[in-house]
Amino acid sequence: MLRVLIALCLLTVPARADGVAALYEGTHSWAEIEAEARGGTVNWFMWGGSDSINRYVSDHLATILKRDHEITLNRIGVTDAAEVVNLVLSEKEAGITSGGAVDLVWINGENFRSMRQADLALCGYTGLLPNAALVDWENPSISNDFGVPVDGCEVPWNTVQFAFAYDKAVLSEPPRSMAELLDWIKANPGRFTYPAPPDFTGSAFVRHVFIYAAGGPETLLGPFDQSKFEAVAAKTWAILNDLEPFLWRGGQTYPTGVVQLNELFANGEVAFTFNYDPAQFGLAVDAGIYPSTTRSFGLMDGTLGNTNYTLIPFNATNKAAAMVLQNLLLAPEEQFEKAKPEVWGAAPAIAIDRLSPEFQADFAALAAHPSVIAASALAPHALPELQADWLTAIEAGWREDVGR
Amino acid sequence: MTGGWRIFGMLAPLLLVLAGLFGLGLGLTLMRSLRYLPAIGLTEPDLAAYRAVLTAPRFLASVVWSLWIAGASSGISALLSLGTALLLRHGFAGRGLLLALIELGLAVPHVVGALGILYLFSQSGSFARLAFGAGLIDQPAAFPALTHDPYAIGIILLYVWKEMPFMTLVLLARLKRIGPGHEAVARSLGATPWQAFAQVLLPMLLPSLLVATALVFAFAFGAYEVPLLLGPHAPEAVSVVAWKHHTDVDLSARPEAMAMAVLVFVIAGAVLALGARLVWRLGGFSR
Repeated sequence: MLRVLIALCLLTVPARADGVAALYEGTHSWAEIEAEARGGTVNWFMWGGSDSINRYVSDHLATILKRDHEITLNRIGVTDAAEVVNLVLSEKEAGITSGGAVDLVWINGENFRSMRQADLALCGYTGLLPNAALVDWENPSISNDFGVPVDGCEVPWNTVQFAFAYDKAVLSEPPRSMAELLDWIKANPGRFTYPAPPDFTGSAFVRHVFIYAAGGPETLLGPFDQSKFEAVAAKTWAILNDLEPFLWRGGQTYPTGVVQLNELFANGEVAFTFNYDPAQFGLAVDAGIYPSTTRSFGLMDGTLGNTNYTLIPFNATNKAAAMVLQNLLLAPEEQFEKAKPEVWGAAPAIAIDRLSPEFQADFAALAAHPSVIAASALAPHALPELQADWLTAIEAGWREDVGR
Repeated sequence: MTGGWRIFGMLAPLLLVLAGLFGLGLGLTLMRSLRYLPAIGLTEPDLAAYRAVLTAPRFLASVVWSLWIAGASSGISALLSLGTALLLRHGFAGRGLLLALIELGLAVPHVVGALGILYLFSQSGSFARLAFGAGLIDQPAAFPALTHDPYAIGIILLYVWKEMPFMTLVLLARLKRIGPGHEAVARSLGATPWQAFAQVLLPMLLPSLLVATALVFAFAFGAYEVPLLLGPHAPEAVSVVAWKHHTDVDLSARPEAMAMAVLVFVIAGAVLALGARLVWRLGGFSR
């Protein structure tokens, strides 16, 4: 039996990794890339949890790609970009260095770091995209993805800033700072909870408490520092453990993901929900899931803001078509289309001041959804993201010290 | 030996699929659990992943919790299905309808059933709203916590609802095979109904019941989607912990995920082997 097992193991010899980032070495003019992409297909793997975003991609973008470039867009929904990282990693291990299943992935943060860690990203081509000139690559929050330099390996798509939501009919005045929020939770037991890290959104909430415990983000920027981390973490876990008895279910259990938290909020079991993308609140109100009296707010202490990107894996089958799609995503028309609250409400990743006066006027005239706080209102109180090593340490620390 | 070769020939397609697909998958998992992942630079196999997993209190708590879910689900299903099978043995008005209702559960996927449990039994679900309407509770938190709770009540409820029909059908088939003759003889020799059941019928049913219980136990132990939907955030079922390690942003957590998968396979396999051994001890399916 053991011999059979070993024989089976030997049947699966994986390919050797070459340890170098995959640089794009194809054609060098945009006209050639467009010609190569014409009539092709793009398989885009992205988070599928929002019907509105899915509609924008599968209906609107697919139609334009077909009409202007004869490219077929296949949107493949996933629960977490980590699944796509696993997929490309498995392909690399199996020696599939071309003709991979994934052409484009919507990604940022820790998952981007994983892809770079394993050299899974195609790099060095972003200068070829004509619309890349509209992106302010000097902006550190765009040229760094959670502290990891982008280095021409991914193209920005949206900028987001974390915001909270509450029901105005139930709560007339929400807390405006982290200290006020913590006091509110203790005064109203059982009416607040947050998803357990490593859920993306729950982890973000814990980071807000972490930055509050540190008295601000200044000392936390830069590479991970074990002693600094331990000092701040001790205060953070003390705050969260003190809070635990006043949470939903007495802190006996936490929601496992943001979807569950959204359901608790929609059912009125908790008074707040939160999200990196406040546009989701407006979309949920329009879909009838949240009450129409939902309103959103940021904190005076600041909320985390970051950029999300699209990335082409090193072994993508349709690299040229994926680049054409990335260029389309950066186009002023598309950044404006997805900024419309009834479509998505996503904040643009391109610099508005580099656009024509007509587009600048269009963006200025966008009417915000009543449930969605305007990006310009959140921006003055923006916190930068910490580097990925801080995130993993905070998540691991939460699991050990707070999550039991 | 022609008889043996013929049997082998007939089983060959099934063995090919099992050994090929399942065996290869198991082989890959085993390899990765030994920390052999050249794609991220791990080329020396060692047991570090197993050491890390077996010494982590979180994993051991998950194993105990999964054992609880599997044990309670299979135990309650076994008792309920035994009673139901005995009840449905004899024809009566409405037997067909009752049987159809029970078998309805077989057609529903586990995930859909889990969502149904959430809709019905969560603190803002249908039953809670009925209770609110009847004035029994005044807010969601007053309704008992049956989902996402530390006793896995919602999960066990779903598994019992799904696995009980399966075990009932197995027992009904066996009862049909046994026939009423044995009990009738025992009664005619002076046995009480309870003695006829406990000392004549039950030992004949026990092998089937044990096999079905062991199958349900092994399945519920390694199951993933129901504890993910209905379970609390801690402790988590073993498969959920393994999946979280598998999707961890730190790629070096993958070998630990594979080690957990191998351990689930070993534990579930041990339970099945134990069940098979017990059945063999009891004389097997002698009739």
